[in-house]
Amino acid sequence: MTDILKIENLTYKRNQRLLLQDVNLTLTAGKIVGLLGENGAGKTTLMRLITGSAQGHGTIMVSGTQTPTERKSHLSFSEQLRGFNRNTKVAQVVAFYHTVYPDFDPQRFHELAGFLQIDVNLRLGALSKGMREKLIIALTLARQVDLYLLDEPFSGIDSMSRKKIISSIIQWMPEEATLLISDHYVTEIAPILDEIVVVKDQTIAVHRAADEIRSESGMDIEDYYESLYEGGVNRD
Amino acid sequence: MKFDDKIPIYYQIKQHLYHEILAGTLKPGDKLPAVRQLAIDLTVNVNTIQRALSEMITEKTIVSQRGKGNFVTDDTARLAELKEQLVMEQLALVYEQLHALNLSDAEILASLKRYIERKGAAQHD
Repeated sequence: MTDILKIENLTYKRNQRLLLQDVNLTLTAGKIVGLLGENGAGKTTLMRLITGSAQGHGTIMVSGTQTPTERKSHLSFSEQLRGFNRNTKVAQVVAFYHTVYPDFDPQRFHELAGFLQIDVNLRLGALSKGMREKLIIALTLARQVDLYLLDEPFSGIDSMSRKKIISSIIQWMPEEATLLISDHYVTEIAPILDEIVVVKDQTIAVHRAADEIRSESGMDIEDYYESLYEGGVNRD
Repeated sequence: MKFDDKIPIYYQIKQHLYHEILAGTLKPGDKLPAVRQLAIDLTVNVNTIQRALSEMITEKTIVSQRGKGNFVTDDTARLAELKEQLVMEQLALVYEQLHALNLSDAEILASLKRYIERKGAAQHD
């Protein structure tokens, strides 16, 4: 199997504080992987290190490439649209993505926008939180890449929007691509996950197949995840 | 579809498809929806569907035809075997629970008979 992501001996410090250490993680092609951990555990930091927005010590390879520029061309990260003015129309954001990313497929975006009921004539400032998140998902998935990074796409949005987003992921994710999705409510996304990765104590504490956890521990993913914090599970 | 997150999802997908087959929603020889369509319908990921289907192909409940897709078997012996297996699994659950209430085998049989008679009577009203 092809390795989409390979992280070796990654350590990251910010302001003299150790945020991540000895991170080793390999993700193969065609997987949906849940990145779990408490708030502040380092999930977003890990994603930013993968995209190259943050610089740590160690090796990060995305589809066999190592420099941040090359890596960026193989991955699509759910940017929070902070660089855009509230008066910018959705259609202008789409045009911007089309210009900046050669792998952005307007046809795919169009399909996703239709499915998620995104009105491209609206201005960013007029979008509800759920709609804004749907737009971010549509923009992220409209690129044709090997690795998709979705950073907490479900925080603060209603359950109907969440379901819609989950369906769009299943429907539009390319077969050979891998998707890493961070969340702290695991229950809702548990059925779509192949594997879970837990960031805890500044490193990757667990990386296991979801169905293996279910069959070996008899626990649901949420209980298993919580048990890691009680020290009640032997994790090897 | 709602899943019980304590039980492997691929296993629940198999149970779901078995049920569709025995209930007649999927008939012998019927073509199954494409893998991705099943994934969308059941809101699970493609690999999990793939795993469930490949186990069902191995046990010959489903026949895979290269380039054409997956079909429910039309082997009646296999379907009868599947039915027997599912009936036994359901009965095992009931039996276990009644046994846990200290019912003897004879009492379990008698209760089951009484239950069916009453249910039958209720339906004829």
